[in-house]
Amino acid sequence: MASIVRTRERLETMATRVRVVSVLVGIALAAIAGTYWWVQGLHGPEYRELADNNRLRRFPIRAPRGIVFDRAGRPLAENVPSYNLLLEPDASNDVQKSLAFAGAILETDPEQLHRLLVAHRRERPVDPALVAENLTLAQVARFELAALEHPEFEIDVQQLRLYRHREQTAHVLGYLAEAGPQELQSGEYERGDMIGRRGIESQFERQLRGKDGDRVVVVDSRGRAVDEFPPVPPTPGTNLKLSIDLDLQQTAQRLLADSVGAVVALDPRDGQILALASSPSYDPNLFARRLRADDWKRLAENDLHPLQNRSLQNTQPPGSTFKPLIALAGLTEHVIDPNTTFYCSGAATFYGHSRRCWRPQGHGAVNLHAAIRNSCDVYFYNVGQRLGIERIARYARLFGLGELTGIDIPGEKPGLVPNEAWSRRVRKIPWYPGETISVAIGQGPILLTPLQLAVMTGAIATGRIETPHLLERPAPARPIQGISRASFAAVREGLQAVVDSGTGHAAFVPGLAIAGKTGTAQVVAQHVRTRAEDLSFETRDHAWFISFAPVEDPQLVVVVFIEHGGHGASAAAPVAKGMYEEFLKKRPDLRVAPPA
Amino acid sequence: MLRLPEEAATAGIGRLASVRWSLLLVALMLSVVGAATVHSASAAMPVEYLPRQLAWLGAGLLVFLVTFSLDYQRLALLALPFYGVAMGLLVLVLFFGQVRGGSRSWFAVGGFGIQPSEVAKVATAILLAQYLAGLEGEYLRLREILIASGIVLLPIALLYFEPDLGGALMYVPLLVSMLLVAGIKKRYLVIAAATAVVVGALGWGLIHDYQRERVLTFLNPSRDPLGAGYQVRQSKIAVGSGELVGRGYMRGTQSQLRFLPARHTDFIFAVLAEEWGFLGVAFVLFLYGSFLFGCAEVAARARDRLGMLLAVGFFATFAFHVLWNTGMVVGLAPNSGIPLPFLSYGGSFMLFSFAATGLVLGVDFRRYVNR
Repeated sequence: MASIVRTRERLETMATRVRVVSVLVGIALAAIAGTYWWVQGLHGPEYRELADNNRLRRFPIRAPRGIVFDRAGRPLAENVPSYNLLLEPDASNDVQKSLAFAGAILETDPEQLHRLLVAHRRERPVDPALVAENLTLAQVARFELAALEHPEFEIDVQQLRLYRHREQTAHVLGYLAEAGPQELQSGEYERGDMIGRRGIESQFERQLRGKDGDRVVVVDSRGRAVDEFPPVPPTPGTNLKLSIDLDLQQTAQRLLADSVGAVVALDPRDGQILALASSPSYDPNLFARRLRADDWKRLAENDLHPLQNRSLQNTQPPGSTFKPLIALAGLTEHVIDPNTTFYCSGAATFYGHSRRCWRPQGHGAVNLHAAIRNSCDVYFYNVGQRLGIERIARYARLFGLGELTGIDIPGEKPGLVPNEAWSRRVRKIPWYPGETISVAIGQGPILLTPLQLAVMTGAIATGRIETPHLLERPAPARPIQGISRASFAAVREGLQAVVDSGTGHAAFVPGLAIAGKTGTAQVVAQHVRTRAEDLSFETRDHAWFISFAPVEDPQLVVVVFIEHGGHGASAAAPVAKGMYEEFLKKRPDLRVAPPA
Repeated sequence: MLRLPEEAATAGIGRLASVRWSLLLVALMLSVVGAATVHSASAAMPVEYLPRQLAWLGAGLLVFLVTFSLDYQRLALLALPFYGVAMGLLVLVLFFGQVRGGSRSWFAVGGFGIQPSEVAKVATAILLAQYLAGLEGEYLRLREILIASGIVLLPIALLYFEPDLGGALMYVPLLVSMLLVAGIKKRYLVIAAATAVVVGALGWGLIHDYQRERVLTFLNPSRDPLGAGYQVRQSKIAVGSGELVGRGYMRGTQSQLRFLPARHTDFIFAVLAEEWGFLGVAFVLFLYGSFLFGCAEVAARARDRLGMLLAVGFFATFAFHVLWNTGMVVGLAPNSGIPLPFLSYGGSFMLFSFAATGLVLGVDFRRYVNR
């Protein structure tokens, strides 16, 4: 009996323990239910999106980028197919084997491919990973042949930008590079998108780019398409026809080949740029193929800065090419007339300092015509002194100097036209009258780009300021007010004499009336006369040549700038000559029979 | 006391009515949900698992009838030989078994596979219950605890060699629950906990690389997005994307587009969660709750130690399966191949589940006789 009671008690105790355990299990079950509520009820939408991303795969259909043509319709920037290799690891039975297979074809270390794969997966877990770019056709064929055994690989055809004239058009066109963090943040670009940098590619990025379309495919876990939505077709980019004349562009770039410098050729009648050359140049195709580190290093560390577009980014004193503007200012301000003469003995004293003329033995008595033709410094010292810096600066601005020309290529520099106010504001010192004497011959703190000088030259040729452009004329011409036809005629006459029989005779082309002006910008002040050839490259002067032709009906402006070229006459004028000869090949109608 | 057959019969009918049949009803409801989900899960597979699952269900009901009819008291008399045979099968499977999913744990019988570890689990439960029931004393002595542990450690050791980590793990709740209910002193509890830690640490060195990988992946799922983490990640996506009301039967993208591995077996709950949402999850968890509560009630109202311990062992085993599996599907527990009772496709475990249910209800049925 006692044992039965004892058994009962023991059973009761045990039953209590059972109930305790069952309550614990109940709590655990409630916790599980709570977790499901957390995942499904509270975070359901996030997981649903993940699920949709899992099954919906978006393949962008790249919009073909607009093709860029020259004025004759010759392609300058175009698109060619490029083959990339995608890997869908979930479709592979053995990823290591797949990578070894790809590595053998690509002649790459499978380890390297694995790193790419893992990095890609971490970033975009559901998309196939891009493991190699720009496959050769032979490689593509080998992957296509193995498509049955290796369904995990897919060849993705992309458009690759091709600049078939490479260095010759690089400074005009710019290049494409992968979108950087800033562009990605703007939301307009996705990782891997290419974006125009520099030149036309950058300026007209919006028009050229077009709008990508896409193809949305429903896939299963092995990446196999099971269904497809109707694709959204891409909107191709707009094709652009530039004013560039490929022949002139190539000629300019070829003539510059061995030197450092720039050539600008434009049509002064409307401001169309025909050639915009800068040397040294670079191969923009390197960027389109995702620039290799060593290539970038070579470009970035090159002391000659091949990425710089010297035609609109390099500002230098204009030297004697500034003199025609001084002449026009002097005539208009009536400080001189065409017959005013100054005596040049080879030097003259201004404000207590002796200033030399470039010709040690002097030019004797010179009037305007002779002064321009022979580039007499003493004559222009006098005109400059009579004008003063404020009037010089005013006329310089009238001709578009010291401000952006408004060309449709990014990166342009405004240069500098100094005056009293600038000196006090920036240098915190008063303007010295002696500096005016330097500025009168284009030396001192005046800094201009080749493009600005081209605009100025065009204005001297036509009496109008045209905005230089490659695509569309952005604004109507701005006539130069206040300067008489006679003043223009007198200066143009002098400029023609420069080429016909003066300092710029190296640019002379039989049968074409060319007006021009040489210029030499001092790099280091020389107290002892030294021949250019005797100076080292870095200390040698910069050579300028500005010109237009035909004088009576100007249709071409050519400005040449040669860094450390020595004299404008010997280094820059021959380049201009080459440009005019090329121009005449296209426009034989402009050639007049030389007098017998 | 002598009873007339007639009397016995009428008493039997009354006793039959007092059995907690809701337990079987819930088990059948879960089986129906399971069959429907197996059908959905296998829609995108080369094999339709529904007919097989129904066949196993039928077999399960037969097994239920057998285990329900057998008097567990008499069964317990045969516990030792039964246990011996079961251990023999576990040894045999190591040599003659088929390898599936990396474990040599299957016997091929006709077109079906049988896992002897499920048979061994029943045998071990009966022997353990019988041993503990026969002990006098309010609390277990150390020697008794060690013997009880030994009964369980033998099949665990054999399963380790297969290797079937999940299967081995399932013996733990059997032992722990029976020891707890049979009465264990606090000090032994502390020692046991300490031992568990040491064994766990040793076990870390003994388990296979892929198992270790699974545990590490459980702790940090983004560790290996291409390999072991994939399953859990896809499972969580499936569960979460079900949101409140689910994507609809047979319309879960994770399941139908084959993103979900083992979706008809270990991860079937993810399919259910994806297609029926939290409402479906809550309903099925409620069914499990009722089932487990029923088992616990049967145990609590048993009139003898053997019956109570037997019911408790199975209650704990079911509870552990349910908690571990549903936890694993949402990333709360490592993936170790533990199926969900009545839902997961799989014959042996289905038979085990119904056998256990039969034994539990058999305990309930005989609570007025065996005392």
